[in-house]
Amino acid sequence: MEIKSMHFKANASAKLADVVLQGNLKNAKGKFVTKRAEAIKDLDDFEGTRDAAVAIRNKVIDNLDLWLERFEQKALDTGAQVLWAKDGAEVCRLVTEIAKRHGVKKVTKSKSMLSEEAGLNQALEAAGIQPVETDLGEYILQVDNNEPPSHIIAPAVHKSLSDVADLFHKVHGTPRKTEIPALTREAREVLRGHFLSAEMGLSGGNFLVAETGSVALVTNEGNGRMVTTMPKVHVVITGIEKVIPTLEDLSTLMRILPRSATGQSISNYFSILTGVKRPEEHDGPEHLYFVLVDSGRADVVGGDFHAMLRCIRCGACMNHCPVYQTIGGHAYGWVYPGPMGSVLTPLYAGIENSIDLPHAATLCNQCGIVCPVKIPLPDLLRKLREKQTERGLRPLTERIGLRLWAWVAQRPTLYALGASLGARYLKWLAGESNRIRLLPTAPEWTLGRDFPAPQGKTFRELYAARRNATPRA
Amino acid sequence: MAKVRVGLFVTCLVDLMRPRIGFATLKLLETAGCDVVVPEAQTCCGQPAWNSGDAPGAVALAKKTIAEFEGFDYVVTPSGSCGDHIRSEYPALLAAEPDWRDRATALASRTYELTDFLVTVLKVDSVPGDHEGSITYHDSCSGLRSMGIKDQPRALLAKMNGVELREMNGCEECCGFGGTFSVKFGEVSAAIAERKCDNVLASGAQAVVGGDLGCLLNIEGKLRRMGNETTQVLHVAEVLAGRV
Amino acid sequence: MSSREDILGRVRAGLQRNGANAAAGREAMAAALANRVQGPKPAMDSSPKALLERFRVKSEQQSTTVDIVAQESDAPAAIARYLTAMNLPKSAVAQPSLAALDWSGAGLSVEPRGARDADLVGITGCFCAVAETGTLMMCSSPETPAAVSLLPETHIAIVRAARILPYMEDAWNLARQELGALPRAVNFISGPSRTGDIEQTIVLGAHGPYRVHLVIVEE
Repeated sequence: MEIKSMHFKANASAKLADVVLQGNLKNAKGKFVTKRAEAIKDLDDFEGTRDAAVAIRNKVIDNLDLWLERFEQKALDTGAQVLWAKDGAEVCRLVTEIAKRHGVKKVTKSKSMLSEEAGLNQALEAAGIQPVETDLGEYILQVDNNEPPSHIIAPAVHKSLSDVADLFHKVHGTPRKTEIPALTREAREVLRGHFLSAEMGLSGGNFLVAETGSVALVTNEGNGRMVTTMPKVHVVITGIEKVIPTLEDLSTLMRILPRSATGQSISNYFSILTGVKRPEEHDGPEHLYFVLVDSGRADVVGGDFHAMLRCIRCGACMNHCPVYQTIGGHAYGWVYPGPMGSVLTPLYAGIENSIDLPHAATLCNQCGIVCPVKIPLPDLLRKLREKQTERGLRPLTERIGLRLWAWVAQRPTLYALGASLGARYLKWLAGESNRIRLLPTAPEWTLGRDFPAPQGKTFRELYAARRNATPRA
Repeated sequence: MAKVRVGLFVTCLVDLMRPRIGFATLKLLETAGCDVVVPEAQTCCGQPAWNSGDAPGAVALAKKTIAEFEGFDYVVTPSGSCGDHIRSEYPALLAAEPDWRDRATALASRTYELTDFLVTVLKVDSVPGDHEGSITYHDSCSGLRSMGIKDQPRALLAKMNGVELREMNGCEECCGFGGTFSVKFGEVSAAIAERKCDNVLASGAQAVVGGDLGCLLNIEGKLRRMGNETTQVLHVAEVLAGRV
Repeated sequence: MSSREDILGRVRAGLQRNGANAAAGREAMAAALANRVQGPKPAMDSSPKALLERFRVKSEQQSTTVDIVAQESDAPAAIARYLTAMNLPKSAVAQPSLAALDWSGAGLSVEPRGARDADLVGITGCFCAVAETGTLMMCSSPETPAAVSLLPETHIAIVRAARILPYMEDAWNLARQELGALPRAVNFISGPSRTGDIEQTIVLGAHGPYRVHLVIVEE
C-alpha cells in the first residue's frame, strides 16, 4: 500500500474539517469502549489472563526462529506448503504464482492486513486475476474505488449507513436501501456467487499453532469459513510473529482477543484449520499454502521494539485513543492506524517516511492500559522519537529549540531570568482580556483555543519577595 | 516528633503561569505540619526533553533535580505528570549509570503528587480551603494511569462542606494537552479539548478542577474560545487551600 | 540466499543466537509443548445440570434458540416443530452421521450429504460443546462436512448433554483423546453469523446462517 504517512498533519487537518466524517466518528466513538468494558467483567481474572497472554507471546518471540522452524515442520507434515516472503513484492509474486499454477481466475479474500501492506489486490488484478474482498467492511471499501481501511477490525467504521446506502445503490444498480439488514443481505447475495465460483480463497491468520501446524481464524461473518471451505486452494498470508505454542494457548488468547476487539466473549466463528481436504471429505481445499511474511518484522526481533511483536491486532489501542477518535484512521496514511500503527508504520514502512506518527499521541497511556498483551505503546512511541532525534530527522528549529531549552534549564539563574521575562511578556500580550488569542511563539496552540494569561510574575520571584518580607525564624 | 521535611517541586509551568498554585501547595503542606523547603535552583524535571526524544537533555535535568531534592524526607509536587516523570522515568533514564540509578530509585520512592501525599502519607483529616460551589474533576492522564491518583483528590474535596462534586462523562479521558503535542498538532489537540469541554459544560458544574496545570490551561483556553466565560478552571490545590 | 534463510538469519541475529541459547530455547520449546499450560479460566459449577444450564444461557445470549428433549430419537420431531413454528421448509440437508434418525417419521425430507448452495436448512450434530461461552465444536470429516453448518440460512444442531464440557481446553483434550490428530477443520460456532461493519450495528446473517437452533438431548 502506498505510504502517505508523511502527510499526517495535513491529513489530520483535512479530517477535522470533514463534517461528514466528524459526524460518523462522533457516532462511532465509545461503542467499542463500552462493549469492551462490559465484556472483560465476566472474566474472573482478566489481569491474570493478560499476564498469561503476555507470557505466551513472549515465549514465542523470544525464540522466534525455533518456533518458526517447528511450525513449518508441523505444517508440512499436515500436507500444507510453506513459503517465505521477505517483503510485499515477494508476497505478490508468490500468491500470483500459486494462482497461475492452479488456473485461478478469481480469489475470494477474508480480511488480511498483510495483503493491504503488500498491495496484493493490485498485483492480482495486474495478473488478470480478480480479487474479491468478502468481509462486509472490506467489500464496501473495495467497491468504493479501493478505498483503504481506516481500522484494523472495522475497516469501514468511518462510513455511515447513508454512505453505504448511496454506494450500493450506485455500484449494484439496485433501489437505494436505508436499513442495515437490507444492505447486509444485498452484499450477501452478491458475494455468495463469488464464494461458490472462486477457485482460490485467501485469508490472514490470527495465530499459527506450532503444536499442530494449524492456522486459527477469528471471524464473525462466516466469510472466513467460506473462503477456507469452498475453493480448491487456500492461501494463508501471515506475519512471522503470529506463531503460538499450543491449543491451550489459543484458548487463553481467545479469552482476551474478542473481548478487547469487539467486546464479545468469543467471536461467532473460530476456525482452526489443519492441512488439506481428507480423502472422502465433501469440502475443504485440496491445496493449502502458508506464506510467512517478514516485511520488516525480522529486524524488530531482539531490538528496542521487540515487545511490539506481541501485538494480536485487536484494535483496542485505537478504539481508546483520543487522537484516533478525533481524526479517524485514514490520516495515519498507511495500513495500521492509532497507537499500534504509529509504532508499526515507522518500523515497517520507514522511520523517515512517518516523521509525525510517533509524535501524534498525547502519551495519555490509555492504549497501554487496555492493550491485552501489555505492550508499552507510549514508551515505544517515545523511543521512536529518540531514534528520530538521533538521526536528525526532526525539523531543525525544533531540535535547536529543544536543545536550547534544555541547556537553559540547566542554568538556574539564566532560567529564572528567562521565565521572569516570559511571564511579563505573556501577561502584556494578553492585556485586558486576560487571554492570548494569537501566540506568536507557539501559533499552533491558538489555532483552536486561547492561551490563558499568566499571573505576570514567577513563583520564584514572589516566593523570594515573601521570604524577604517575613524572614523565617 | 520531628517535622517531616518536604522539598517542594513547584514545576516550571506553575512557576511561569500560576504561582498561586505553588503557594496553595505550600500552605497545604505547612498547615499539615510539614517543614517545607523550596530549593531555589530548581527548574524543570526534564519531561519535555524526554518526551521529545532528547535523551541527553532529559538525563542532565534528571541528575540536576536528583541532586537538588535527594536531601529531603519527601518530594511533593502539584502535578501528576511531573511527579510521575520523577517516579517512573528517572530510574529507567539513568539505568546505564548504577550510582545515579540508585539515587534516582531512592528519590522516586519518596516522590509524591500533592493530593496523594496529603491522603496517603500525611493522612490529613481537614483542609483549610473554604471554596463553595459545584465542581467537576478532570483526572489527568499521568496522575491517574501511572500514579493511581483517583480517589485522593475526591477524598480531600469531600472534606469541604461547601463543595459539591458533579462527575462529568469521560472524566478519565485525555483532554488533548499532551505537552509538546499541544503545539505540534494544535488543531487535533484543540479538537480533543473540545470534547472534554463539552463534558465539563454538560456536568453543569461551576468549576472544573484538576491536578495538572497543563491540562487546566488547555481546558481553560478551549472553554474561553468556545465563548464560555463563567466556568472557573482551578487547580485542586487552590480549591483545597483557599486564600493564599 | 533463499528468503527463508534470509528471514531466519536475521531473526537469529536479532536474538543473538548461539549454540548455548539455542539449546536452552529448544528445551523451553519442548517444555511448552509438553506441559500445555492452561491460563486462568472463569470459575464454573461443573455438575452436569449446571453445565447444561450455563450452556443454554450463554447460547441464548448469542441469539441461538434452544430446545431440550429427552432422547436422540425425539430430535426429528422437535426439529419438525421448530421448522413449523418458524414457517421454514420441511426439507433439509443433514450431516451423513445423522442418516439413521427417523426423519420421514417426523414429516421431514432430509438428505444426508454435503451441503449445496440451494439448501435452506442444515442439520448437524457436534463434536462437543463448551459451556463457558455457549459454543459448538464442529470437527470436519466425511460424515460431518463443514459446509452443512455454513451454507444454509438455518442451522440446526443436535447436542448431547453429556458432551457439554466446561472449557475449550476440555474440548481440545477430548479431541486429542478421541481423534488423535486434529481434523482438517475445527469450527467453533457461537450463534448465527453476524456483522457490525455498518455503524457497529449488529446484524444477524452476514454470510452464514441467519439462525442457529439447538436441540439438546438430555439422555
